Amino acid sequence: MIHDFHYLKPGTLKEALAMYAEHEDCKVICGGQSLLIVMRQGMIAPENLLDIKHLNELNYIKFDEKDGLRLGATTTHRAIEKSEVIKKYYPALVAMENKLASIQVRNWGTIGGNLAHADPAGDPAPLLIALKANIKVGSAKGERVMPLDEFFVDYFEIAMEKGELVLEVHVPVTQPKTGIAYQKFNYLTNDMGIVGVAASVTLNGGNTCKDARVVLGNAGPTPRRSKKAEEFLIGKALNDDVFAEAGKIASEDCEPVADIHASEDFRRHVIGVLTKRMLKKAFEEAQGK
Amino acid sequence: MEKRLITLNVNGIDYELYINPKTLLVEAIRDHIGLTGTKRGCDTVSCGACTVMIDDMSVKSCSILAVQAEGKKITTVEGLEKNGELSPIQKAFLDNGSYQCGFCTPGMLMSASAFLKENEGKDVTEEEIREGIEGNICRCTGYNSIVRAIESVVKGNYKEG
Amino acid sequence: MSTEIKELKFTTFKTNIKYSVINKRVHNIDGLAKVTGRATYTFDVKLPNMLYGKILRSPHPHARIVNIDASKALAMPGVIAVATGKDTPGVKQGIWRRYPELCDEQILPLEKVRYIGEPVAAVAAVTEEIAEKALELIDVEYEVLPPVFQPLDAIRKDAPIIHEGVERNINVTRHIEWGDVDDAFAEAEKDGYIREDWFRTSSQHHMCMETRAAVSSFTPDGKLTVYCSTQSPYYMQALLAGVLDMREGDIRVIAHYVGGGFGGKFELDAAIFCSAVLSKKTFRPVKIVFTREEDFIASKRRTPMHYYIRTAMKKDGTFLAREVRVFTNGGAYTGMGATALYLTGFFCSFPYKWRGYRYDGYRVYTNTLPSTAMRGFGAPQAMFCSEQQIEWMCADLGLDPYEVRRKNAHTECYEVPGQAYIQSCGMTQCIDKIEAWAKSKGNLGPNRAIGVSAAGFMSGGIFNWFDTPYSFSSAVVVINYDGKVDLYVGCQEIGQGSNTTMAIICAETLGVKIEDINVYSGDTAHSPADLGAWGSRQTLMAGNAVKMAAEDAKRQLLEFAYAEMGLNIVYDLDIKDRWVHVIARPERGMKYEDLVKRAIRGKDGQRIIGRGYYTPHRKGMISPAYSYMMQAVDAEIDPETGKITLHEVMTAHDCGQPINPLGLIGQLEGAASMALGFGYLEDQPMDEGKILNPNLVDYKVIRATEMPKTDMIEIDTYEAEGPYGAKEAGEGLTNPTAAALGNAIFHALGLQMKELPITSEKIVNALKEKKEKQGK
Repeated sequence: MIHDFHYLKPGTLKEALAMYAEHEDCKVICGGQSLLIVMRQGMIAPENLLDIKHLNELNYIKFDEKDGLRLGATTTHRAIEKSEVIKKYYPALVAMENKLASIQVRNWGTIGGNLAHADPAGDPAPLLIALKANIKVGSAKGERVMPLDEFFVDYFEIAMEKGELVLEVHVPVTQPKTGIAYQKFNYLTNDMGIVGVAASVTLNGGNTCKDARVVLGNAGPTPRRSKKAEEFLIGKALNDDVFAEAGKIASEDCEPVADIHASEDFRRHVIGVLTKRMLKKAFEEAQGK
Repeated sequence: MEKRLITLNVNGIDYELYINPKTLLVEAIRDHIGLTGTKRGCDTVSCGACTVMIDDMSVKSCSILAVQAEGKKITTVEGLEKNGELSPIQKAFLDNGSYQCGFCTPGMLMSASAFLKENEGKDVTEEEIREGIEGNICRCTGYNSIVRAIESVVKGNYKEG
Repeated sequence: MSTEIKELKFTTFKTNIKYSVINKRVHNIDGLAKVTGRATYTFDVKLPNMLYGKILRSPHPHARIVNIDASKALAMPGVIAVATGKDTPGVKQGIWRRYPELCDEQILPLEKVRYIGEPVAAVAAVTEEIAEKALELIDVEYEVLPPVFQPLDAIRKDAPIIHEGVERNINVTRHIEWGDVDDAFAEAEKDGYIREDWFRTSSQHHMCMETRAAVSSFTPDGKLTVYCSTQSPYYMQALLAGVLDMREGDIRVIAHYVGGGFGGKFELDAAIFCSAVLSKKTFRPVKIVFTREEDFIASKRRTPMHYYIRTAMKKDGTFLAREVRVFTNGGAYTGMGATALYLTGFFCSFPYKWRGYRYDGYRVYTNTLPSTAMRGFGAPQAMFCSEQQIEWMCADLGLDPYEVRRKNAHTECYEVPGQAYIQSCGMTQCIDKIEAWAKSKGNLGPNRAIGVSAAGFMSGGIFNWFDTPYSFSSAVVVINYDGKVDLYVGCQEIGQGSNTTMAIICAETLGVKIEDINVYSGDTAHSPADLGAWGSRQTLMAGNAVKMAAEDAKRQLLEFAYAEMGLNIVYDLDIKDRWVHVIARPERGMKYEDLVKRAIRGKDGQRIIGRGYYTPHRKGMISPAYSYMMQAVDAEIDPETGKITLHEVMTAHDCGQPINPLGLIGQLEGAASMALGFGYLEDQPMDEGKILNPNLVDYKVIRATEMPKTDMIEIDTYEAEGPYGAKEAGEGLTNPTAAALGNAIFHALGLQMKELPITSEKIVNALKEKKEKQGK
């Protein structure tokens, strides 16, 4: 049962920020695909609910070959999935969105809402972190930008101050000779991942790794980079043995928690396998560029 | 208790409702407007029984506040037939036996309809059809007869009446 | 040594009759309502002046109820009534009415709660929200008792007693035995092969799309009307009469559209009972709909089993004997679990001939959600264990598993000693077809294989545990002046298409078209008593009743036709496609509509009424007829992650004469999706009796993206006991799948998986273990 709340429907972003600053005990609803579940379970019972779903100011996909990709917070998953420009420049994003929950959820749920919900099993965060994305948040007092991997603090907890809304995700232009891959392990194709791994590999001319990111989903309280695996990879000539070793490092460099779907051991095991596979996939893509 | 006056356009008709803003779209459709074709099968946005179309996109009406659907074009299963003539996908469901208990059927039809609209004139693979109804649980049919029904509409076996 | 099995003296036969309605693709007669949103489920029922009910449930797995104080709840504006056990006659009810000791469940118990989620009180209020809030205001004082959750713990001497007087918590035992088992094992010891294995099968939830729901309306004249989501309106009527101390006839049960059943909706549930009790208190209609979570935690489940099988065969693969011991986790109450205990024991012998067979089953009470019937009714568990063990034994001995199955399979006119008389049987043809199909697939590549399993199932049960005084199935056919037919049946449509199947049988028999038939079912006010939709019984049992009723009506019509046409006594008449004609000279005849008009005039204006009924007699202990099948599952397993990809499920199927082909395919595909889920996906893990995944996020069911291609090869047989040669085609298809999947994994990776569900993690662990063993 959802508890009663006072419903706030701002006409503009400015109004939204003002309302948010002004109201105590206020939650923001955008697509609400996760929020309404927890409200129904009574886990959250805010006095005020600020609806920003209809704010078209934040509903945009902008791309510039120098600046990269900018996604407004109220952009739906489906818009990202269907975007021709994203398909061309960030195909891994389209592939990830295609397996994110059901079409119905993607049609209504938004990228800003997804990131703000901060479920460690969420799909976009690991991939966006691998893509070195930044997130712009703002309040009535002003705006600030931070790297996405600093945005997540704990289970369902993010680095936002009171009165701040997620405004935009910025994905910089990927460096040349870079490959990106993301996969989650689950039983139902479009289900949440039991674990997920995003990898990016940038090559230094030949097969030597110039830069790499290994980002693990649902392997701890937040989406997390395995910096140990990344450090291990950088400077190495890449091959199957190196990927396997990086997988092993990643599987130890995380804090997955057992639940009814999988033990901690099995999660570490699959993280190792997926890390190996995603690095190889990213490597092969980078080679082809 | 706070209440708001809203207008919902369902199947081409404007309904004026005076409701608590926490009212879910599915509750507005079923309990306030009285269109009970749309079902509910879970509380976790999992099963798809409550699927309706908003502006021709499939959505789960259990995870949308009714107030958020104001000003949009909502279509429910009752809106698929025109003057007693069934839509192609409804006919295809009949011909292929794509339902059993029928409880998931309205939601399934809405997902299928949205999929067909989105892919009108395009070639689609069986895998894409399966992805198109992935958000809907059917416990009776095992889905394959539903996939066959959608396929047959894609192939043009049914003309809009 | 020759077997002692008796070959019976009668044979089955096939007919070459060309049917005009049977086995044609038709729209289900309730299809239009279902594809347009017009079908009204209990979930949709809204009556004037209706209240909403909510149920307060026990947080403890085992506790004494010391006191319930509902005064604060009753003081809340909008709350109309609160009911506890004290507001009921306190009857211990159960569906095995023939055995009072198995009637052990008070819905709203007076003394004790025995599982987490058990109802303790119910509230009726003007809105659902008020009713839900009121639950929080009911104070229940419990004295917590020590609980026990596992059957093997519950049978220990020092285990807590769950039902007073039930020693070691053993609820039911079942023994099945024939032949000289010890002698056969002794023979195998000398010159044969014996293997024993332990298995564990998991729980599964029915997961009907419509959760348990009821709207009860009690009126001051002492009559009760109940709309509910049930598989058997007659059972609900009879059971409600028992627990409410009312006349059966004063209770009307209506179930027009039911959103799935699968074995979970033919016992009395708390939605039905509590809404009735609240309505009796308030004289207003009361609606209760379970939330999905309530459905998961408190609406029963597939019976989890611990299985021990010891099997003896000759070195050439001839089966000698089998010994089976099963402990089932019965949960807190008996329900239909007693039947599952029997059937799993019988079906573990299926579909093979054994010289000796011995089964001992123990159903054990625990402080968990009661287990009950679910599609397959104990047989999927039996097949998972039996069919895998047979496959492994063949591998151990280097024998061809198809050949071994063929060699031992049931055949036509065979008696399972003391248990079953089998008339039609297409088992060996099923094996032939699947063998040919599997071999035609050639080499599938690494980590991928086809696994097979044989199976069969009953066409309804024989044993009258419900103690009904009525025929198991009944039907009434009424022919109106315009020739249109009203068919009244008590068999229940729950999505399996029984209304359509009955209309087909009625139309075929009368010689009219399916659109001439209006089926009236799902309402005890006009439907004759019938045990309902469970145990795959309706096509055969209700089908026979409908056929008999239609034949009765037809005979009355033809009497007038004979008189009218003045035929030589040696000629026969028939009706086909609304044409009444001389069989030998089909062009000679008259229109059906004309005949009906004259016949009704001849009966002084009475409509033509035919009556039919069916109760199985002299057919053994289990069922009047059995389906047979062989299924193949083509699966690929990622050896690194254990992820299973399902490519195809192929089934060779003997269901006698198919009646409704679209319905048959639907049963096949639906059963496959549910049974694959049983194989690798679905489970209800618990912690201290609390189900940990009571929602559809954590309880996974197969979706369209996981569902493999399915197809069927029909095996042509004719079942003399069934209407037009038909037998069951519903539940049985659930039986082979988990075993076939297990066998696919065995052939792909060399793993013997003995625990359901076969999760990826279990596969990875088994591979690791296998490697470690090989390393040594």
